[in-house]
Amino acid sequence: MNTTVPNNSLPSNNLRKITKPPAVRIVPPLNFCPVEQQLYRSGQPSIINQAFLNQLNLRTIIWLASEEPSDEFLEYCNSHSINIEFVSMVDDDFDKHMNPWDSLNEPTIKRALELIVNKENYPCLVCCGMGRHRTGTVIGCLRRIQGWNLASVSEEYRRFTGSRGGRILVELLIEGFDISSVHIDKDKVPEWLK
Amino acid sequence: MVNYTDDPFQMDEEIPEYYSGNDVSPRSKSPSYIPESKASSQNSLLQEITPRYSEILNHKLQQDNNLIRSRIEQLKMEEEGVNTTTTEEEEDAPKYEEDIDDKLDVNLQKKLQLEYEKTMDMDQPLTPPENFAPIINTIYRSSFPQPNNFSFIKTLKLKSILCLIPEEYPQLHTEFLSHENIKLFQLGMSGNKEPFVKISSDLITEAIRIVLNPENQPILIHCNRGKHRTGCLVGVIRRLQNWSLTIIFDEYRKFAAPKERPMDQQFIELYDDTEAIKYCQQYNLLPLKWDN
Repeated sequence: MNTTVPNNSLPSNNLRKITKPPAVRIVPPLNFCPVEQQLYRSGQPSIINQAFLNQLNLRTIIWLASEEPSDEFLEYCNSHSINIEFVSMVDDDFDKHMNPWDSLNEPTIKRALELIVNKENYPCLVCCGMGRHRTGTVIGCLRRIQGWNLASVSEEYRRFTGSRGGRILVELLIEGFDISSVHIDKDKVPEWLK
Repeated sequence: MVNYTDDPFQMDEEIPEYYSGNDVSPRSKSPSYIPESKASSQNSLLQEITPRYSEILNHKLQQDNNLIRSRIEQLKMEEEGVNTTTTEEEEDAPKYEEDIDDKLDVNLQKKLQLEYEKTMDMDQPLTPPENFAPIINTIYRSSFPQPNNFSFIKTLKLKSILCLIPEEYPQLHTEFLSHENIKLFQLGMSGNKEPFVKISSDLITEAIRIVLNPENQPILIHCNRGKHRTGCLVGVIRRLQNWSLTIIFDEYRKFAAPKERPMDQQFIELYDDTEAIKYCQQYNLLPLKWDN
């Protein structure tokens, strides 16, 4: 399915004949960026990103937003056999009272990371509402596992946080996160993490 | 307009001045004046000071020496820093504040080189260059890689680097590249600077040919800050991917912040991609692949 940019709105049927089809424009989700080979980050994808998402051949989407995706999008994932992992919507006490602007908690980060360090889930997209803070938290912790220094992690995180800048709380979370708690299966680890 | 023929590496010539007597303040002398006999002996001194990549690998023994030397050198750099900024200002008549980023700071390069030398032995965490990110597949972008980024650069297993600035590549860098067997492409282009200097479309097309050629990948694209020239090239790659311009601009601004240039965005939009597309079709590269 392709998303075309509607360049006119011609309602009547006899005017629908298109002699020159409008250029097909690809629309990636907000804040989209590759992280590593076959690992991507973005804001919440929606149906207008279909043409783009098709190119990625995703196997897994790690959904960090607290709100659910639209039915339309769930259907799209279903028909493309994309597995959505709702890591931050688990039914325990903490998450019940969770607001979209709350930070992730450590068990959630750990769950997300254990999906990321398993190449069986690839190609894989990590996303949250805007692709800023929650995604930034998980990718930040991943960078620490990769051995990046904290300043570089922060630079990357802040690149995606928009004009209001980064949140100290998120950066504290990244700094304090115990990377040794993440279980890494040596047989399933992606090439770039070896 | 910036004239790159009298390039900023002229500062190399100023280093020997330091050895021409400690009692004379370097500021009181003309930086271009070097007595010939002294210049040659100083050159050998210079060679001794400039670290070779291969030597660094077994430099532990010399470390003490180096520490002392680099401290002296650093002091010298600081002094020189004062010196050169004043001469530079006189040379390039119209100065735009935002252009300062576009030039490679040679003094800074040397300082960083020395810092790198000092920390070689320690088990440092990986430091990617600023503005580092993958673009697509194994094509990467970043600012000018510094010696302390080398261990990170190694992890990318690069086949080549495309450098978009006209200044000569520093020696330590070229040694690193040859040691790691990385091919260097250099397309010196000036950034978009209002009102007269413009990025050359032909050079961007040439850059596209280099970057999209699978034989050159994995490849790292960099300019000085990884904002403007690199941003324009990435924007053009995104156009080849048929991305919506809105998203292309958004990505450009993310990396160029806080120094976004409207002219760069205009360049991305107005660039004539006929030749680039022709190249891609010739080698059947479209649509660009996200992974192998």
